[in-house]
Amino acid sequence: MKYRLIGVALIVLALGLSSHAFATPSNLLNVLRQASLIFLSASGLTLVIVGAGLDLSVGANLGLSACFAAAAIKATGTLSSGFAAGVACGIAVGLLNGLMVTKLRVPPFIATYGMLWMLYGVNYWYMKGDTIYGFPPDFRALGSGDLLGVPIPVYLMTIGLLAGGIFTRYTTYGHEVYAIGANAEAARLSGIPVGSRLILLYTLSGAMAGLAGVIYLARLNSAEAGIGSPLLLPAIAAVLIGGTSLFGGSGGLAGTLIGAIILTLVLNGMNLLGINSNWQPLVTGVIILIAALIDSVTRRHAELHA
Amino acid sequence: MLNCMPDERALYMTSAGSLKFAFNGLVLLIAALVLAACGESGNKSPETTRESVALFTKNQTNPYFQTIRVAAQAAATELNVDLVNYIPTSNDSIPEQMSQIEDAITKHPSAVVFVPVDSKAMIPGVEKFNAAGIPVINLIDRSDGGEFVSFMGCDDYAVALNTARYLFEKMNGKGNVIIIEGQGGSSNNQKRVSGFKKALEDFPSVKLLASQTGNFQRAMALQVTENLLQAHPQIDGILAANDAMALGAIEALDAANRKALVIGVNGTKEAIDAVKAGKLLATGDCDGFVQGCMGTMAAVRHLKNLPVPKEVIFPITVFNSTNYQGADVPYEQRMCPKWESIVKN
Amino acid sequence: MASLARVPGVAFLLVALGIVFSIFAHGFATLSNLLNIGIQSSTLLLLALPMTFIIMTEGLDLSMGAVLGLTGVILASVLVAGNSLIAAFGAALGVGLAFGIANGLFVVKLGLPPFVTTLGTLGIAQGMALVLTGGESVAGIGPALPKLYASKWAGIPFSILVALSMYAVFHFLLYYTRFGNYVFAIGGNREALVLAGVPAGVFHVSVYALAGLMAGFAALLLTGRMNSGHPTAAMGMEFDAIAAVIVGGTERQRGNGWLPGTVLGVLAVGVLRNGLNVMALPSSLQVASIGLLLIAALLIDSIRRIKP
Repeated sequence: MKYRLIGVALIVLALGLSSHAFATPSNLLNVLRQASLIFLSASGLTLVIVGAGLDLSVGANLGLSACFAAAAIKATGTLSSGFAAGVACGIAVGLLNGLMVTKLRVPPFIATYGMLWMLYGVNYWYMKGDTIYGFPPDFRALGSGDLLGVPIPVYLMTIGLLAGGIFTRYTTYGHEVYAIGANAEAARLSGIPVGSRLILLYTLSGAMAGLAGVIYLARLNSAEAGIGSPLLLPAIAAVLIGGTSLFGGSGGLAGTLIGAIILTLVLNGMNLLGINSNWQPLVTGVIILIAALIDSVTRRHAELHA
Repeated sequence: MLNCMPDERALYMTSAGSLKFAFNGLVLLIAALVLAACGESGNKSPETTRESVALFTKNQTNPYFQTIRVAAQAAATELNVDLVNYIPTSNDSIPEQMSQIEDAITKHPSAVVFVPVDSKAMIPGVEKFNAAGIPVINLIDRSDGGEFVSFMGCDDYAVALNTARYLFEKMNGKGNVIIIEGQGGSSNNQKRVSGFKKALEDFPSVKLLASQTGNFQRAMALQVTENLLQAHPQIDGILAANDAMALGAIEALDAANRKALVIGVNGTKEAIDAVKAGKLLATGDCDGFVQGCMGTMAAVRHLKNLPVPKEVIFPITVFNSTNYQGADVPYEQRMCPKWESIVKN
Repeated sequence: MASLARVPGVAFLLVALGIVFSIFAHGFATLSNLLNIGIQSSTLLLLALPMTFIIMTEGLDLSMGAVLGLTGVILASVLVAGNSLIAAFGAALGVGLAFGIANGLFVVKLGLPPFVTTLGTLGIAQGMALVLTGGESVAGIGPALPKLYASKWAGIPFSILVALSMYAVFHFLLYYTRFGNYVFAIGGNREALVLAGVPAGVFHVSVYALAGLMAGFAALLLTGRMNSGHPTAAMGMEFDAIAAVIVGGTERQRGNGWLPGTVLGVLAVGVLRNGLNVMALPSSLQVASIGLLLIAALLIDSIRRIKP
């Protein structure tokens, strides 16, 4: 973890030296706002991966939830209906994923990848190529507004981080998730109801994706089919750069936060320095490899000195 | 290999046996059905079925193409032909559009209206239509090769040029601007950005601070604009290569409590509403609805041996607060124009 | 080698789809359309074959689509510069192989998780392709490749011939060579190999190198099909390849692989897409059906409880 913080510090330092506009409070808050969207999308996914699962449907789920939320707000005129619709959609999708993986024994890759396609199908059919746009200012403030000078999504990110931290460290559920990720068989033998915990995990991932969709809607002030699709790879990348292992049992939300910040810094730096964004995937790919290398080296170091 | 008990294995064997029997039965059934089905279709003569026009658009999510599809359907209904839509399941996918071309040829449509996802990579696909003797109308995005009855579209360069000039005039000819570009490989994008830059040459006191890509997407344009707002304390105008990005830029401005004049391209419903609300200065377009209608109408005209010009460049309108009313009609209520009103000989 | 119980659920779906489309999609059950399906599926098969090996070794390669895009662009660029098809093909293979070896070394020698590693090399390959082309297609590749791509050999289109030949090669590799034995073993019981003194590392790296090589090979087909190279044309194909492999019966754990299943998986998706296009069903329905097919295939397996 500390190497990641050093990494972030180095990137911040490098950008601060190269661009006078970078190290201003305004830009740094800007970066945090952008990072918090990635974090919220990836938060549920982090826990699923900790549990040695995989959820490829988060992007599609986010987009569909945003569309339902938009439609609900337009239909009823209330913001709470939007939240309800968005989160409900997210929960429903997550629950279906969880049931497929546990009860029907469909491998997570296929279950969530298949779900991704089905969700896009529903999304395209529902939206019919149109957009739903124009929402009241108090709703949009959730995505684009500030409170006491700090962007509201950053507050949401902090709440998410704290809630996640409490969940993983201080609740039995949290401990069980790590145990399941580390060794599902052993967890089952020690009495943990693995199946229902996994269902809970996927449902949680879906719920967070749904919530992220609502916030995303607030930020964009418009919903169209497929708005979640560019978010899948960054969400996965944020989790992995953050050090959560795909084999399960380790990592957590703090890592995902760092990963989200690093990804956002890349685009921010490129825009500020006027670098063509064709370089963005290259830089991101290198960072992912470096993060993995650091983990590998520190792990071997730890093994040697254990 | 099967890690189960011996009696389970026996069960597998018998179930395998009965499955085999079921398979054989199925095979016979398939053969019978296929013979029946193909025999039937062979008896249908082409003249008794309606003519069909296949419309190829780039994706399911861009409202511009939905307008094209709705308009094409309106024209098809009016002209009593079938319209069949082909849209890639993955947005703008080149291999998929290529496969859809092959699959469409299997159904042998009477004519095709074609919006290529890439100006160069789809040339072999158009050549497949040509080889099959199916007439093709090239709509909206120009393809760099292949035989077409006509190219019908907008002069993207001129649209961008006119809209940018309008912006610079409203800026009184001076100030700082940024460009939000679309996808690098899109020929439309290149033409529009060229148009923007040409307009800059005509207004020497307007300074271009930055030109970054938003990939034609609202969210990315929002993020890029936010970043550029950080980098440049004074931005007076934003030129976006399409409406989705213009609207994303507007959200960024609102969030940062900054003001700038924003222009877009496409004339989508949302953009027109934004013009009405005073948030978007202008959006340039050739009227997607008219283009959709005319593409289908041209295809049908060709089938009836009526003359169709080799090129139809639609008139441009820079929709702004004074003239948006014409575009402020929901497309469900619109009707296709008469051919002669657009194509004057 | 394959008892009926081994046949994955996707096979039944493939038969069912074939029946349904033959009845309801006029033009489906013609030779030209069936050949189309083969042509449309050949590139994916070239990716899915080495992916089978990788998944059998409990790995994944997410970079294949991006590497294919890059090698396609390189193939096209070398042709545009006036060089021979052989030279261009060699360049594509070389670049693909380089990425494959890099992936293999990261995973095997440095112990990095395959998912992460190949996500990283995905970005690098994608970035290189975008920077080289500015996002544009590389056209003007001359007549040699289009002529080859359009050629027929005893009536069989070139791309189908390539796909069939590659299948034969991989089938032979997996089931009749020691390399194949090791591929089974690396996933199932790596320690045994190491203890037996076999250079498991070399074979393991080779599995990834093979994937990179095949991505370069597939560039020949993709570039030929589009008559140009395009940096992002193959984006996301690796996910479809992975899905085809898993749906075909190869499992990520236990080093269990069934290569014919991969072909079934690729064909099932190809038949579905083609049939839905020929039936001219709305595109949103097509999108949803693809997901439904993948899940249904595994559901059938779960219900039959086939777990070899």
